[in-house]
Amino acid sequence: MEHPILFISIILEKLGLPVPHGPVGHTFIEQLCEPYMTYTWFVMAFLLFVAKLTLGNLEMIPGKGQNFWELVVGGMDSFFAENMGQEMADKMFPMIATFGLYIVVANLIGLIPGFMSPTASINTTLALTIIVWITHHIIGVRAHGWSYYKHFIGPVWWLIPLLLPIELISNFARMISLSIRLFGNIMAKETLLAILFMLAGAFFAPLPIMILGVLVSVVQAMVFVLLTVVYFSQAQEHAH
Amino acid sequence: MSDVKSEFVHLLANYGHIGFTFAAAIVIGLGGGIYLDQKVFDGSTAPWFTFIGLALGIAAGYKSLFEILWLNKKQEKGSDKKE
Repeated sequence: MEHPILFISIILEKLGLPVPHGPVGHTFIEQLCEPYMTYTWFVMAFLLFVAKLTLGNLEMIPGKGQNFWELVVGGMDSFFAENMGQEMADKMFPMIATFGLYIVVANLIGLIPGFMSPTASINTTLALTIIVWITHHIIGVRAHGWSYYKHFIGPVWWLIPLLLPIELISNFARMISLSIRLFGNIMAKETLLAILFMLAGAFFAPLPIMILGVLVSVVQAMVFVLLTVVYFSQAQEHAH
Repeated sequence: MSDVKSEFVHLLANYGHIGFTFAAAIVIGLGGGIYLDQKVFDGSTAPWFTFIGLALGIAAGYKSLFEILWLNKKQEKGSDKKE
């Protein structure tokens, strides 16, 4: 389900670039012009632009913009430090905070008519999740060396044939559930909004769903960030 | 972040996540079993790997469910010690 009007797609079509109408483009250029790709670039440009505008010159006595970012970044940093220790939080802060900010903005942008949430596509969420999944294994290997495999074999040796497949399955289930939960929630919001807009847009039918959409967007981004933090800290701590 | 809000986020993440994780674990187990049966062994072992995969998937689902319960218990114990 696509939005009826997407500004960036219309502009690209006017410029003569091929914008695919199906879910997947065929050529490389078509794939680059997918709405979720162009809106991902838009969100990135938005974040960079806002950060440059408000943080262009850092001052000792912060103004309005700098105050806002200090609140956001400071809040996130203390939240990470609480959950996975200050050292890990310092190391992983840039990655997790970037994901959090990107997901918040990407979720919220879909509420504006003419824009689409990049996270309403499984490609975006699966990409984010694969990065998190691989990173938590890298953290585990770096923290424990080769004895990281002890995380997967359980407490006693004669339970290995039973516990190894179970641990592996539940580890892969993390990847699936993390990506599909974010994708499903945001796509449901987008689809519901589009249908209500088509059915009764003149009577402001989408408004209540938009209010719920703000809540869902923020909550899903928070949940993604928190689960990322939990996985990282679990990979780092000792096997039970 | 205030205590109440961060506790709310924790609860939301844990319990909002568990349904999906449970289902995903079963789907992966069952899918792996069917793949082993139909593609790797070409249907000669027909129902067995499917059943084993399903059982392992369900077990993995329960394991991730209990992991969340144990995590909460550990955290409660930790906060008791602090107090």
